Amino acid sequence: MKPRFGPATVGRWALLTVGVIIALLPWVWMLRTALGPGQNALGISSNPIPSSITFAHFSDAFRAGALGRALINGLIVSLGILILQLATAIPAAYAFACLRFRGRTALFGLVLAALLIPPQVVAVPNYVTVSAFGLADTRLGLVLPFMTNGIAIFLLRQYMTTIPPALLEAARMDGLGTWRTLRKIVVPLSMPAIATTSVFSFLLSFNEYLWPLLEARSPAIATPPLALARLTQGANGFPDFAQLCAAALIVSLPTLVVFVVAQRRLTAGLAGTGAAS
Amino acid sequence: MTIRGRGAAWGHGDTPRAAALLLPAFVGLIAFIGVPTFLTIFVAGTDKSLTGPSFHWTGTANTRTAIHDGAFHQSVTNTLLYCLYTIIPALVIGLALALAAARVTRGRGLLRLALFLPVTANLVAIAVVFSYIFDSDGHGLANTVLGWFGAAPVNWLGGTATALPVVASVGLWRLVSLVFVLYLAGLTAVPESVYEAAEVDGLRGWARFRWVTWPLLGPTTVFVLVVVTTLTLQTFDTVSVLTGGGPLGSSTTLVYYIYQVGFTNSFRIGYASMLVVLLLVVVIGVGALGSVLGRRARVRAARTSAVGGSIALPGGAPEPAAPALPVSAGAGR
Repeated sequence: MKPRFGPATVGRWALLTVGVIIALLPWVWMLRTALGPGQNALGISSNPIPSSITFAHFSDAFRAGALGRALINGLIVSLGILILQLATAIPAAYAFACLRFRGRTALFGLVLAALLIPPQVVAVPNYVTVSAFGLADTRLGLVLPFMTNGIAIFLLRQYMTTIPPALLEAARMDGLGTWRTLRKIVVPLSMPAIATTSVFSFLLSFNEYLWPLLEARSPAIATPPLALARLTQGANGFPDFAQLCAAALIVSLPTLVVFVVAQRRLTAGLAGTGAAS
Repeated sequence: MTIRGRGAAWGHGDTPRAAALLLPAFVGLIAFIGVPTFLTIFVAGTDKSLTGPSFHWTGTANTRTAIHDGAFHQSVTNTLLYCLYTIIPALVIGLALALAAARVTRGRGLLRLALFLPVTANLVAIAVVFSYIFDSDGHGLANTVLGWFGAAPVNWLGGTATALPVVASVGLWRLVSLVFVLYLAGLTAVPESVYEAAEVDGLRGWARFRWVTWPLLGPTTVFVLVVVTTLTLQTFDTVSVLTGGGPLGSSTTLVYYIYQVGFTNSFRIGYASMLVVLLLVVVIGVGALGSVLGRRARVRAARTSAVGGSIALPGGAPEPAAPALPVSAGAGR
């Protein structure tokens, strides 16, 4: 079809323009406020363009919210979760995709059923479990409950089912066992899916709020969303929005960077989940 | 390392090896999802509190409490209102954006990047900006815009009538993006030949959408509705940061109320568990309904696709009997 400049095209572009503006507005407003002059009760401005530019709010936010420590905590916890999830999901996905065994369908159904359970349902018992192991208020306690991720198993299995059985058969003929087939054939071939899964996992864990809120009581192990929320609540009704917006931007930066770098993979991954519906 | 010799056949005899491969995943699944779920269901029938060590089986006492609990009723009403403000609008806007964006070729990467951004947003960070945009005095962006039209500033987050809609606007902002991503994926899976066949039949514009695209997107729509509803029912982060459930409980969603009952006001874990089991039942109900509707939608999509002169299944589901919807309770939280 040739592009034509009829009313439909104009309407389409108008819709997309408004959509993009609204999607970006909170980020732009965050940046504008963080760079602008102070926004506390004494000097508030509503000019879209700040009258002067300063980077002071970023350093203030870093200090007031102990954000450096929070970012390191967030990275440690998210990467810890990622490693555990890959370690549990890759073998499981491989078994579901490439091996034949009794109860395969039922067990896979169980993995999918577990996805339906809201995190709030398991929060209190998990808190008890983690405390029983003496891990309350530790980074390990922030990691452990997320060790198995059903979405990761699902995405990886979907991908691994596309590996031609002839290839696995050839590996067997060459004398490769189950383990070595996984290591030498299946994992290298599944790298795109593993990358997508990793990005998903990182974004979700880094943004996780409810579990750290319950588990991480001491400020020393606060994750970025928690540190930001505490900074907000510490404002006692007189928030310095410039500082808060700077903090929000700092906290958002790791996920923004990962997202921009990995955008294509994410879309492909989401297409994968959609296709299976 | 396998212990078996060369003669071992790939096939039905893989059970021991499969068990070893599945073990780590199932340890996590059982320890942190399976057992805790049953524990919560059990505790739902007790008067356990977070502070006291002893507790008793009280049967349906918590259910009876809920029937007379005005704050609980309010939280249910608020959750339903929140769903009303977000789910259908997000579906319509997200679909419209996806339809518009699917045809864009130039600048497509940047366009998609911008519209995908909200999916990965940190909700606490976004809530901070929204609390500034909807700041109560004349300096928040929302009140500034109102001022241009000569309207008086509104106490957005402090008013019982406006607090919940403002919280819902954050949810909507994010859900539109998620719906957009899912529909765009669904649209990419529709084979070009179907559109060509529709063109031959003289179907264009609205008619083509109504009789070709919409039925083909049926399975995606069911999936989107299940995911979005499940996520919306679990709204917590934004309420926690923006309003703390106030003023006067006017923005307390069900999950935020459960948090208050269990962890802040009274530490009544038993009662909180009963309420969370209620959420679980509703979510499972939504999932089951989605499973049934999804099957029907796939049949309908296959028929539409066949009429359109193509045998390709949109969504290209490799398995005709996908066991369930991969709904993530956590996806895009």
